[in-house]
Amino acid sequence: MTTANDLYEERLERILTAVRLERPDRVPVVPLGDSFCARHQGVKLSEFCTNPELSNQVMLKCFMELGEVDGIQHTNFYVHNLSTAWLSRLKIPGRDLPEDELWQVDEVELMSESDYDAIINDGFRPFIERFYLERLDNLGEKLPVFFMSVPSAMQAMKDHGIVPFSPAIVTIPYELFCGGRSMHQFLRDLYRIPDKVQAAMDVAIRDMIEDARMMCGMIKPIAAWVGGWRAASEFISPRHWQRFVFPYYKQMVEAVVEEGVIAVLHFDSDWTRDLEYLRELPAKRIVFSPDGSTDIFKAKQVLGDHACIMGDVPASLLSLGTVEKVEEYCKRLIEEIGPAGFILAQGCDIPPNARPENVAAMIASVKKFGA
Amino acid sequence: MQETLAEKLADLREDEVGEEVRRKLEEGVTAEEILADLQKGMVMVGERFQNQEYYLPELIMAADIFTAATASLGDTLKGSKEKIATMVLGTVAGDIHDIGKNIVGLIFGSNGFEVVDLGVDVPPQRFVEAVKEYKPQLVGLSCLLTTSFNSMRETVEALKEAGLRDGVKVLVGGGPVDQGTADYCGADAYCVDAPTGIRIARELLGVS
Repeated sequence: MTTANDLYEERLERILTAVRLERPDRVPVVPLGDSFCARHQGVKLSEFCTNPELSNQVMLKCFMELGEVDGIQHTNFYVHNLSTAWLSRLKIPGRDLPEDELWQVDEVELMSESDYDAIINDGFRPFIERFYLERLDNLGEKLPVFFMSVPSAMQAMKDHGIVPFSPAIVTIPYELFCGGRSMHQFLRDLYRIPDKVQAAMDVAIRDMIEDARMMCGMIKPIAAWVGGWRAASEFISPRHWQRFVFPYYKQMVEAVVEEGVIAVLHFDSDWTRDLEYLRELPAKRIVFSPDGSTDIFKAKQVLGDHACIMGDVPASLLSLGTVEKVEEYCKRLIEEIGPAGFILAQGCDIPPNARPENVAAMIASVKKFGA
Repeated sequence: MQETLAEKLADLREDEVGEEVRRKLEEGVTAEEILADLQKGMVMVGERFQNQEYYLPELIMAADIFTAATASLGDTLKGSKEKIATMVLGTVAGDIHDIGKNIVGLIFGSNGFEVVDLGVDVPPQRFVEAVKEYKPQLVGLSCLLTTSFNSMRETVEALKEAGLRDGVKVLVGGGPVDQGTADYCGADAYCVDAPTGIRIARELLGVS
């Protein structure tokens, strides 16, 4: 009889084989869903997004009902984590929004130009602690609930033979500052006070890397998301990207990999222009995970012998498409991006209004086309 | 050769644009002529964006410089501004994301369009009222959430029900939006970015 542990080992090996760019027995599928899972299970978003333990149960149940997944990218969801990635306040269902409406990032200018000076002069950690306390409604106090819940959430997935793939999220200063300053102001800063922005980034990245190493040591995840949203190539010139974005990803990815953790480049929007740079990151220890905007077929050409590729069934296909269309796209991904060095997943996150039959079709497609 | 005002704007020389506008006004150049130069500069910025020489920061800087410069032209300009068309713009109901919408507002506003910005989380009925009030040629709908596709569709439906749909061109855009979304919502066009939106708007309105 196959035990949950056997299943877990089999699935983990399937995923790790893909990361090593080898060909597994079949293409693994490792989705991510948060609000989608809540809707699917009939759980109010207000409860789902504020209760990490509940979100873990809901995700597990949802994906187990929809098919056989090898892993799930996150183990649980906690809405306040979003504030840490973008230094922004949130509109939260049940608090600021009706109970079953989707949470949203409320991006306003919370960080001022003088905050760059504060970071440069006094360090990033004191700045961020003060920022959480004063401008993000004592965020620091809300976060431990989540961190405490991760180990048991990982275990719960393992107990069902499912790999908790990438339960940790880190990013670079660009994302934090862009959110904190608001995108409009931040992009002006890149023009008006570039040296100051860079100096603050150089200070911040040191503490952010230290935190990332600590988190990797504590949670011991298989992989961690190194997130990229606003730092995408499509938004800024090569000159800005090479100065304010890539050097920081390089440092962060190298640190994560040094900790023995696979770095998942969870990159939203279009990064096609700069794919070549990603070859400077550690080979076979990274997973490039675009959201449907980057040309994933081009990514295969450029990175195919260097990085595993994960993705990228687009949100709009899952919500507006048909089972046939989803299958057709998954087949193409499996055949053209896979079968070696490829993990099938949605792009970014499964949207709350995805059709469950479409998600099920995505999951089933690895068995249908991926062996 | 000395750079023209349009070129200075296109090169994002913030201080020099301000000085040049002041000098021209002192020399007795009319506000309309100066505005025309500035608009020429914005067209160049749009072209550089299309050619991937410029990206979002450059668009934002250019629009900021343009806005400051036109503000300094003052009251003389009021009423004499020729506009290509009016656009009622907003992020649709249930969605509070305004970055993309604001960029569209800035770029349309600095390319000869009058923009009526209704803000975020705008219910369909508010769009209907605004179309009645401002009689725009264009309606711009923005969203970042795929769940807002239905709001976009409901907004287009509401315009239809109010008998206003045929009088306007509906443009949609935003992170997850694509041609499929435009078809789903019954919009006239999907715009991948703001400068493309300008081109499409001009085409739809038959303006050269």
